[in-house]
Amino acid sequence: MAASISGYTFSSVCYHSANSNSDHEGFLLGDVRQEETVSISDTQISTAELLQIVEIHNHDPCAQLFSFYDYAGKVSEENLNSILKDRRKKVIGWYRFRRNTQQQMSFREQIIHKQLTQLLGVPDLVFLLFSFISTANSSTHALEYVLFRPNRRYNQRITLSIPNLGNTSQQEYKISSVPNTSLNYAKVVKEHGAEFFDKDGVMKDIRTIFQVYSALQDKVQAVCVEVEQSERVKEKFQEDVNKLKQQIALRKRKTAEEKRLREVQNADSRSTPEENTEPPEASLLSRITFHAPSAPERPSTSPNPPSYTDLLSQDDSLLSSSSPPTSAALLPRPQAVGSPGHPTPGPLGMGLAMGLGLSLGTSPNPVTTPSTPYLGNGDGSSSDSLDRQAAGQEDDDDDEDDEDDDEEDEDSSEYENLVSETTHLQMVSASVLVPGRPAALSPDGDARGSQTT
Amino acid sequence: MAVSAVHLESDAFLVCMNHALSTEKEEVMGLCIGEVEVTRIVHIHSVIILRRSDKRKDRVEISPEQLSAASTEAERLADMTGRPMRVVGWYHSHPHITVWPSHVDVRTQAMYQMLDQCFVGLIFSCFIEDKNTKTGRVLYTCFQSVQAQKSSEYERVEIPIHVVPREAIGKVCLESAVELPRILCQEEQDTYRKIHSLAHLDPVTKIHNGSVFTKNLCSQMSAVSGPLLQWLEDRLEQNKHSIVELQQEKEKLLQELAAL
Repeated sequence: MAASISGYTFSSVCYHSANSNSDHEGFLLGDVRQEETVSISDTQISTAELLQIVEIHNHDPCAQLFSFYDYAGKVSEENLNSILKDRRKKVIGWYRFRRNTQQQMSFREQIIHKQLTQLLGVPDLVFLLFSFISTANSSTHALEYVLFRPNRRYNQRITLSIPNLGNTSQQEYKISSVPNTSLNYAKVVKEHGAEFFDKDGVMKDIRTIFQVYSALQDKVQAVCVEVEQSERVKEKFQEDVNKLKQQIALRKRKTAEEKRLREVQNADSRSTPEENTEPPEASLLSRITFHAPSAPERPSTSPNPPSYTDLLSQDDSLLSSSSPPTSAALLPRPQAVGSPGHPTPGPLGMGLAMGLGLSLGTSPNPVTTPSTPYLGNGDGSSSDSLDRQAAGQEDDDDDEDDEDDDEEDEDSSEYENLVSETTHLQMVSASVLVPGRPAALSPDGDARGSQTT
Repeated sequence: MAVSAVHLESDAFLVCMNHALSTEKEEVMGLCIGEVEVTRIVHIHSVIILRRSDKRKDRVEISPEQLSAASTEAERLADMTGRPMRVVGWYHSHPHITVWPSHVDVRTQAMYQMLDQCFVGLIFSCFIEDKNTKTGRVLYTCFQSVQAQKSSEYERVEIPIHVVPREAIGKVCLESAVELPRILCQEEQDTYRKIHSLAHLDPVTKIHNGSVFTKNLCSQMSAVSGPLLQWLEDRLEQNKHSIVELQQEKEKLLQELAAL
């Protein structure tokens, strides 16, 4: 069995995954066809082998996790239909992107796969697993991908190829003719070969194929313009939705704050009135002007409790008076399992955790983080270095390889640098999430406990 | 270290991936356009796909003309976006080979750093497969060069790189992405023109060469233009669906806000 996916579809999955701050999943649309290869051997005249080819044409990303299944892994056919609509017939598989996890199907993925196989009626449904790992200093990142067909008992992994330009070699042009002194040869070839050329001596085929190419490129340009317009429209709507969500959250907070104020005033009016009756929380909230977190910002489409993003904006305004964070604080930290390697406003958030006096007495880092990222080979074994020997590696690259082993052995002492310049914040309600863990971490725990938390 | 980190916008990352995955037989390259912030973070907003004049293995170098053309492009982007954009780095691909830069790469990078100490290099390694586990791999890394202490040779310095999420693909990145088929066709035309100008070829050889051109252009159309067009159409569909859903969500939120 063989499988292929176009480079553009593959990049698109990478793009959606990079945009997602948690795991990302979606469906694979395409075709499965059979190719017959006929071979002749000594024992038989001809053996026809049927090769199944899985062609992935397109992917349909899910906007959120748990959109068609619940925490118990039960797939809801209704949700599935509303997501897929008429694309349901073209589904040949599904995919999942996770960070810092093993190249194996998790238990939940397996049970979801079984249900999808039944519901979609695709006996050989495939599952494409993307796994993302990074070096400790985030300078090198690897995206590993494996295509599974879990419904088979043997040969569950299939090679996924990405067709490309490959061998269009320009060396095939001939710069000289084979020498030939035969007059007959020259005469025949010139007379009959003239069919191929037009009056300018240019080959007709050249003009024709160039016209085909031009027409195609014009079409590509035209569709590109349409896509660009749709991107801007989508961006605008997303902005509007985000703004509305913020306004609603702000309005809700204000009403809650007013309600609390009234309750406190009522309580105080019964006892001896004091000078400073305002509870610290209310004063903090009223002082803070809500503003959106600065770039890089996360899209608010993930199932995020609103208090997290609100909290970050509070951090910004509170800490703006303090010294600007040094470059050390902005250096990204090795991330906990399931969190992306991108620069979240982690240091500020972690400072907040310190101020809260949450049980973080000894460790500056609220989340245990692996000192080295998981570097498994997918078959249960692991290697020490991210720099595993790639197929066809050249020898002169060996010198560079030695440097990496040192980097991998770094321990998590980098964390101590983090919280030095943060201020202590006293008056935030205890219902705040522990920051440093970006929103909507995938709870997709691996039953075999392979995640390195 | 002049640069503390690199932030690569995800739509620029998409174009780099598209480019790197376009061919497994040779290294592709391009330039990164963006700005360097006061925090010494290099922010890459988009990339420009370049033609490779020297197609020898592992000789990925940018000619001064290309650098100058890229600077002009950067100015155009600066006008369009209203931000100070310039060429801040280069990227190239390592198909079937390790992601680490070779000695030539490190030397080339060192040369660029002489002109601009914040210049960064990105490498995308692809078409790698572990035959035992049938695991495919795509890697990317960011580096600069520094003079080694012991010798006069240059050494690689690792620079943290992060892909910054961007939900909508920018206009500049889309334009860069659709440049690829045009560049490939231009390369083919230039090669053919040189061959065609050779007068001493007999008709059979000319027919052969013409067929090679046709064959190569067909390859480009089926391997690049076709899939590109398909992806664009799929993206348009996806966007249309998203817009409808976002409109509905906006209505709902407006009602909710009015009720409060």
